[in-house]
Amino acid sequence: MLQKPRNRGRPNTQAERERDWGRGAAEEAPSTSRGAGGSQEARGTSSQGGRRAEASPEVGPRSQQQLELKVAELVQFLLIKDQKKIPIKRTDILKHVIGDYKDIFPDLLKLAAERLEYVFGYKLVELEPKSNTYILINTLEPVEEDAEVRGDQGTPTTGLLMIVLGLIFMKGNTIKETEVWDFLRRLGVYPTKKHLVFGDPKKLITEEFVRQRYLEYRRIPHTDPVDYEFQWGPRTNLETSKMKVLKFVAKVHNQDPKDWPAQYCEALADEEARARPETGGPTPSS
Amino acid sequence: MGAPRPRSPRPAGGAEAAFLPGPPASGATPGYRAPSCTQGGARRAGIMTDVHRRFLQLLMTHGVLEERGVRRLQKHCYRVHGRTAAVEELEDFINNINSVLESLYIEIKKGATEDDGRPVYALVNLATTPVSKMASDFAENELDLFRKALELIIDSETGFASSTNILNLVDQLKGKKMRKKEAEQVLQKFVQNKWLIEKEGEFTLHSRAILEMEQYIRETYPDAVKTCNICHGLLIQGQSCETCGIRMHLPCVAKYFRSAPEPRCPHCNDYWPHEIPEVFNPDKEREAGTSKANKKPSRSRQH
Repeated sequence: MLQKPRNRGRPNTQAERERDWGRGAAEEAPSTSRGAGGSQEARGTSSQGGRRAEASPEVGPRSQQQLELKVAELVQFLLIKDQKKIPIKRTDILKHVIGDYKDIFPDLLKLAAERLEYVFGYKLVELEPKSNTYILINTLEPVEEDAEVRGDQGTPTTGLLMIVLGLIFMKGNTIKETEVWDFLRRLGVYPTKKHLVFGDPKKLITEEFVRQRYLEYRRIPHTDPVDYEFQWGPRTNLETSKMKVLKFVAKVHNQDPKDWPAQYCEALADEEARARPETGGPTPSS
Repeated sequence: MGAPRPRSPRPAGGAEAAFLPGPPASGATPGYRAPSCTQGGARRAGIMTDVHRRFLQLLMTHGVLEERGVRRLQKHCYRVHGRTAAVEELEDFINNINSVLESLYIEIKKGATEDDGRPVYALVNLATTPVSKMASDFAENELDLFRKALELIIDSETGFASSTNILNLVDQLKGKKMRKKEAEQVLQKFVQNKWLIEKEGEFTLHSRAILEMEQYIRETYPDAVKTCNICHGLLIQGQSCETCGIRMHLPCVAKYFRSAPEPRCPHCNDYWPHEIPEVFNPDKEREAGTSKANKKPSRSRQH
């Protein structure tokens, strides 16, 4: 066995522990050689004494178990990253998880995507074609009662987001920031005032939602004073639809979506476009 | 072919739940890791339906969840998907999901709180990789602070480390320099996120940390780690025999000495000098409302 007894007093082993734990280290393979049942392949490839088994690239074929572990790590990574709602960059995946398995990255990603969908009900999709960033879309419809059994607060900010998305769509898919605040002021939400539920609404809308790719926030050139415009971000198009947002707006006004014929037509066209067979998907663009 | 990875250094017949005494039923108990050939070939994995998926998604929003909450969650998921037919027995339900999770090296693990033996569940990572939930939520110096606290807790006699002692190590932390004031807040963050429990200015491990890190702890501190004489699980808080030094979890003590007229040490047979806590009774708790009516004094300094 290559493992040294892990005595806490031994400085080098402790240093390893300190180094390994908590770092988003890339090449470190999960510990497979624990106790008597460790994988022999993994043990054989470990180069440093005492270090946990490493999936070494020099040994040509990798064991089924090593591959399985890599996929498991990748699934975990994607789940954890997505919880923050920040799109996951391919470069981060390669750096923190894939490491030496770079050559089979597309296969690993495909396997991970399959497991994510089958086991958790999350679909891995690329934010935009060729963007090399990914997000997870929930295949299960969220239900109001979910909020009662959740362990976190969910996203109380969703309401505000929906309102802004609705505004953007109803105004023809783009709206000036000044108009947004004109509207939100009427609801008691101000850019400069702290809000009980939303905290800092300006930061939320112009930074958080943008970072999460729900909104696009661009400066309008040649405006004085400077003004910005909002549009839907790529995540919005993946997570919801024009029709869903229109229905939300209609509900808020206690009316029917058809009461806005222009927007209704646009939403219908969007639905039809979605119904056509998908060209995008979770496969990574190599 | 390499044997399947044992999930813990404990013998395969070890207790399924972290601290519940008694021999495990074969294979049907949550967390029991059957040492069978589940690699490659015919893997008898369960089937996932939307009920199970929703359950997993929502379970993941909790770091750790009491059994009562888990049952509620299970019922909710059945209801949402219109399956009002008989809800599957929780144990089987979880075993089914675990058989699918096996290939992903995660598991819904069952344990119990160390102070009063409430059954709790957590979704834990079985392959100790750096990609862990805790590693993603905290900065390098914060993780190092946790590690320092962890070491103090494990080395202590009582399973508790004082705030003062932890804060005194602030200068030794890796990463960005942290002031004591900041460290105090970080410790509170650990409490909020259910990694640590605080009692009267002292800190011990939350059941979440014990469930998630048991393996890591056993591997990293094999000499300092304490185990329960009854269930052989990792022990942080508990009672010990003053004669021979063996230790037991409070809930294990409660179960072992239940209705014993004269409690005696299972190892050296000497009189057991400590107060015997009551066995956790979920029904009694429901009557008494949400507060812990039959809670024993805050911490047993019974070492």
